[in-house]
Amino acid sequence: MFQTREEERDYAFLNDKSHQPVNRYGKSIELVSESDPLAGKTLNINGDTFVSDNPNRYKQHGFHFTADNCIGCHACEAACSEKNDNPAHIAFRSVGYVEGGTYPAFKRLNISMACNHCDNPVCLKGCPTRAYTKFAEYGAVLQDPDICFGCGYCTWVCPYNAPQLDPVKGQVSKCNMCVDRLEVGLKPACVSACLGNALNFGVIENTPENRQQAKTEIPGFPRTDITHPNIRFQQTKSLPPEMTRTDSAAVKYHKDQTDGVYKPIVDKNKRAAARKWSLKKLRSREDPLVLFTLISQGVIGAFMLLFLGSLAGVQPLVSAVQSSAYLPMLFIMLGIESFALFISTMHLGKPHRFYRAFNNLKYSPVSREVAGIAMFFNSLLAHTFFSLFDYSITQTLATVFAYAAVITGPIALYFMHKIYRIEARPFWNHHQVLTAFYGNMFTMGTLLTGLVFVPVFIYQGQSVIALLDVLAPGLITGLLIEGLGHMSHTRYLKTRGCEASVSYYEQVTTFGKTYMARNLMLVINILVAGILYIAASESLLVLGVWVMLALSIIVSALVSRALFYVLVIPTTMPGAFFWKNKGFEEHARESGLAQMPQVGVIADVH
Amino acid sequence: MLFGRHKKNLIKIADKEIVDWKYTTCGYCSTGCSIEVGINKEGKAVSSRGAAGADVNRGKLCVKGIFEHELFSTAGRGEEPLYRDSPVEEYKKVNWDFALDTMAEKIKGIQEKYGRDSFAIISTGQILTEEFYTLGKLTRGAIGTNNYDGNTTLCMASAVSGYKRSFGSDGPPGCYDDFEHTDCLLAFGSNLPEQHPIIYWRLKEAMEKRSFPLIVVDPRVTMLAQFADMHLPITPGTDLVLLNSLAHVILDEGLEDADYINASTNDYEAFKALVAEYDPVSASKICGIDEDTIRNVARLYAKAGKAMSIWTMGINQSTHGSDGVVAINNLNLITGNIGKAGGTSLSITGQCNAMGTREWSSCSGLPGYRYLENPEDRKEIADFWGIDEEFFPKKRGLFQTDIFPAIETGQIKGLWLVASNPMSSLPNSERIRKTLQKLDFFVVQDAYSDVESAQYANMYLPASIWAEKNGCFTNTERRVNRITNIQQPYANSKPDLWIFNQLAKRFDHYKTMNFPETSEGVFEEMKQLSKGKHRTLDISGMSYQKIEQQKGIQWPCREGDETGAQRLYTDGKFQTKNGKANLIPLPFIDNNERPDNEFPFWLNTGRVVEHFHTRTRTGKMGNCNKYSPTPYMEMNPDAAADLGVEHQSYVRVVSKRSDAVVMVQLTHRIPYNMVFIPFHFHDCANRLTLGLLDPYSRQPAFKQNAVRIEKIDQQEAAQRNLESRSF
Repeated sequence: MFQTREEERDYAFLNDKSHQPVNRYGKSIELVSESDPLAGKTLNINGDTFVSDNPNRYKQHGFHFTADNCIGCHACEAACSEKNDNPAHIAFRSVGYVEGGTYPAFKRLNISMACNHCDNPVCLKGCPTRAYTKFAEYGAVLQDPDICFGCGYCTWVCPYNAPQLDPVKGQVSKCNMCVDRLEVGLKPACVSACLGNALNFGVIENTPENRQQAKTEIPGFPRTDITHPNIRFQQTKSLPPEMTRTDSAAVKYHKDQTDGVYKPIVDKNKRAAARKWSLKKLRSREDPLVLFTLISQGVIGAFMLLFLGSLAGVQPLVSAVQSSAYLPMLFIMLGIESFALFISTMHLGKPHRFYRAFNNLKYSPVSREVAGIAMFFNSLLAHTFFSLFDYSITQTLATVFAYAAVITGPIALYFMHKIYRIEARPFWNHHQVLTAFYGNMFTMGTLLTGLVFVPVFIYQGQSVIALLDVLAPGLITGLLIEGLGHMSHTRYLKTRGCEASVSYYEQVTTFGKTYMARNLMLVINILVAGILYIAASESLLVLGVWVMLALSIIVSALVSRALFYVLVIPTTMPGAFFWKNKGFEEHARESGLAQMPQVGVIADVH
Repeated sequence: MLFGRHKKNLIKIADKEIVDWKYTTCGYCSTGCSIEVGINKEGKAVSSRGAAGADVNRGKLCVKGIFEHELFSTAGRGEEPLYRDSPVEEYKKVNWDFALDTMAEKIKGIQEKYGRDSFAIISTGQILTEEFYTLGKLTRGAIGTNNYDGNTTLCMASAVSGYKRSFGSDGPPGCYDDFEHTDCLLAFGSNLPEQHPIIYWRLKEAMEKRSFPLIVVDPRVTMLAQFADMHLPITPGTDLVLLNSLAHVILDEGLEDADYINASTNDYEAFKALVAEYDPVSASKICGIDEDTIRNVARLYAKAGKAMSIWTMGINQSTHGSDGVVAINNLNLITGNIGKAGGTSLSITGQCNAMGTREWSSCSGLPGYRYLENPEDRKEIADFWGIDEEFFPKKRGLFQTDIFPAIETGQIKGLWLVASNPMSSLPNSERIRKTLQKLDFFVVQDAYSDVESAQYANMYLPASIWAEKNGCFTNTERRVNRITNIQQPYANSKPDLWIFNQLAKRFDHYKTMNFPETSEGVFEEMKQLSKGKHRTLDISGMSYQKIEQQKGIQWPCREGDETGAQRLYTDGKFQTKNGKANLIPLPFIDNNERPDNEFPFWLNTGRVVEHFHTRTRTGKMGNCNKYSPTPYMEMNPDAAADLGVEHQSYVRVVSKRSDAVVMVQLTHRIPYNMVFIPFHFHDCANRLTLGLLDPYSRQPAFKQNAVRIEKIDQQEAAQRNLESRSF
């Protein structure tokens, strides 16, 4: 039980006298009735069986932030980190700011933000391990680091940057609403510490004493329709029409003349408009996922091509499957897919908890993708195993598992794509993810098949042209699907506004040359494949060009997938000049400043 | 469990397993917040929280205070005394006896050879009042050097000087409660949200209850300026002109409090004649505030009924800092705003115990606001201490900022620094670097062995820090509060009081003098010296127990008083000879370094909330340091565009002194022709500052310098910056 200070002051006590029946989204503020089986139970905080008599215990609570008043003094952040014993690089609450105007008609708006304990907790739904729970008590969304395996998916889906992935501990942790303080009638530590009288807390939709507003929009705060966050704002002092961020994100906020709401747009002052390569910046924490997704798509594509092709009686594929090279091909596919699974597992903060990935099939696309890939992989494994024997029963079983693999494979890829359809990440939230993944299934599948069987056919003296005649259309189809997806994606990025347009700006500036090169390679690859297909020659020169084309496709696919990960700009909160500034974090790592732990930047996150 | 698991898991919330909360007072700034430090089973300090019952902070703490328990285990603490014959050698660990014997011998040697004043002592605003008193007694009574001053010359000297000139004595006459009563608040060069966030909160609480105009004079659009009803973006260094002009309007329009002026002030006519020259039209040309605004503010202030002024370094750290303080006092005297609830001249002080050193350290004279220049004071103290009054000089010696030039040119040969870091804190770092290398014998006494000044010392004495000791601080509103001994001294560090007492034993006068061993013993002795009917600084009604009970008591608290007095001069009687305050005519002389073609930018320096002074403490605590782990410079985006300087890139800043490398933060918070660099970082802002001295307080003008901006290779700059940051 949390011990209240002696002579505690009024500002620290919860003081909701009444409440609205429903919130602005139509959801009941009372989460369960007193007679509900969920009511009257202990929260079991650190094993304490105490049951609070807080009269508002089963009502949704939330923060109220008077943005006009915040002085950016860090007291809320400090009180939070002190209470939760967080090291410098982790913060459940952070203060950033936006500013605008011209000296001296200048305004800075500080924004203090933690978890909003949303009505629709996308973190909870996204988490594959079910580390999250939304409690009937206070509507708190709590996360258990002991369940988490550190995939970081919740940090992707949250629009407010609330869950904190600790690269040192390899797990996520986040704001716990100070439920231990709520249980004894105290407001959270951050609220109690506030020195600007900006931060407050209570039953949601209640406007605190001496405040007039409880709105859901201030410049810099992401849109609320994604999660229905439990935070309300007051911001009455007029601000300049354009508010910029001091962190490195090329985002600023412009006041919409029709509804008066500040909307994110590109801040071109942040980046030189010049097109750059920025090849070094293509590397990221998600490098293992670049390989994992490409390999999985290739292996699924290759197996589908071989199995369905031979089933349809396509001659070169029938002979491929019947050749002595088929088993080695199966082992190759198993081998590289195993490698892909291994690196994607090691990419977790706690790889030894990998088995928890299936825990949230009900909501999490991650769980579903992992289940799909696991089913495909095991089907492929079983198919391979039964293909080792020559009995009719084993042949039947091999066929059954082959069917299983060609069914589960594309389903797995569908869920793989769903992982990236995140509303808080507008760059990803487009059908291009699906076209890229399925396109790659075709491209990488035919490529993998060709890389193995063209040499085999040459060695066995079979017609390579016949095989290439079958593979080339698959290859071209895959590239075309991907290409068309990119075109549609570009149109979307240009017109979508918000962080999508910022990603687009980064795409054509910071990575401008790389992006153009990728596009060019894609076009050239399609043209060369078409010419080679029409040429239908097996001269050494043509085969040489095929090899070059294969390499070009691989490079283009790697660059394309790396861009996919580095270009995403989430709808996060604005940072400060040092703290929560990606640009400074990068600089601290590159310059060596991050070697001092008190800088608050972890030196190595890979 | 609306969503998620069906079976409830245990909720884990960090539990520091605190078994006891111990009371103390914050050791950073002068706000004087009461802190409770949480102690776990092992006796380790693991948590800090505001004491909810304390009047000053009412349970709140700022970012620094919230992590103050981490202070005990910060990196770089000194473990053993260190000694070397010459600063070019490596330090060797020595024992305390050897260190103190050597120190006494060297001091005596230098004094014999070059005269008593050739050994200088520079103290601080950081140690306990009892320690200040003892150091003063040791210095004035036993060692006998007149070149003894505190680093408070860098922060509060102008306020002290201004108070003395106006009211005849030091001591801020107001208190935080004045916010609750005032009808108009004028803030000069004081950014409460950043510098004194708890005082800001007290102001905010008052403003939420009752609306009154807040007027902020500051060249930057600080958070306070942004929140003000009126922001006066003044030209640096011209506050005196604005203040004279405000007085001009008030007298010109007959808005003054004639009764108060007659009853309680001297020299009104001379003052009136001087301010007559500062009409708003002429003044606006100099200070950059238009005439309408000047008139508006003057009328608001004079007609408010109860109006108060606060100020911090924006006034103090300038070439007319003392005049600025006097001018603020003038403004309040002519409007009758001294000694009444909501009407006052309140300097917002700097270090946690800047007041303690002002009151009791004898730096500027003798303890308890006594003067060396006053024969009765000399006799009283000499008798009380048991020495010959002729041992005292008849006039105070050099100020801190004059001691360094005297070292530079060889008049001073030895130096003892106590909890001060001039290598980072004084203007013109390169000059200080050169100066410190000229000493024959140099002792650094500090809690941190990595304090930058120690690199040129012969001897390093590891001092205990904050609540490893026991004693009192006095805050901005004259509130004496208790620092209790929460943790044992780190390693073989010793409380400063112990060090002073042990050193005293090695001087001849020790035989006739009495140096109490305990802080409480010293406090009782100070109480004796504070008694006196007309003495404002009277603490004789206090005791350690009573202070803790009331969580701080303001002086005067006379023997038998239940508690202290909130305000001084409530009866209109002052500490001058005739009991009237002095209205002083203050002609403005523009002697600042100003931007020119070669150095086109004003350089302004200041503080950020997460750091304290030269970062020897906060630079090692991640949860403070991370908000500004490396130096930066605010620059106007339009100026940057003209120079082709980019946001978050490094530039080289050059002044007539030297250069510094900083990372640029573009913001319209500052004007086109100004840059701002926080002063906390070693080898940075103070490499550039000139620090022209105030003629009265000898406080340096840190905020009025001229610089130019040059581009620099980014990798080289990053490397240079990194090499300058050992913490």
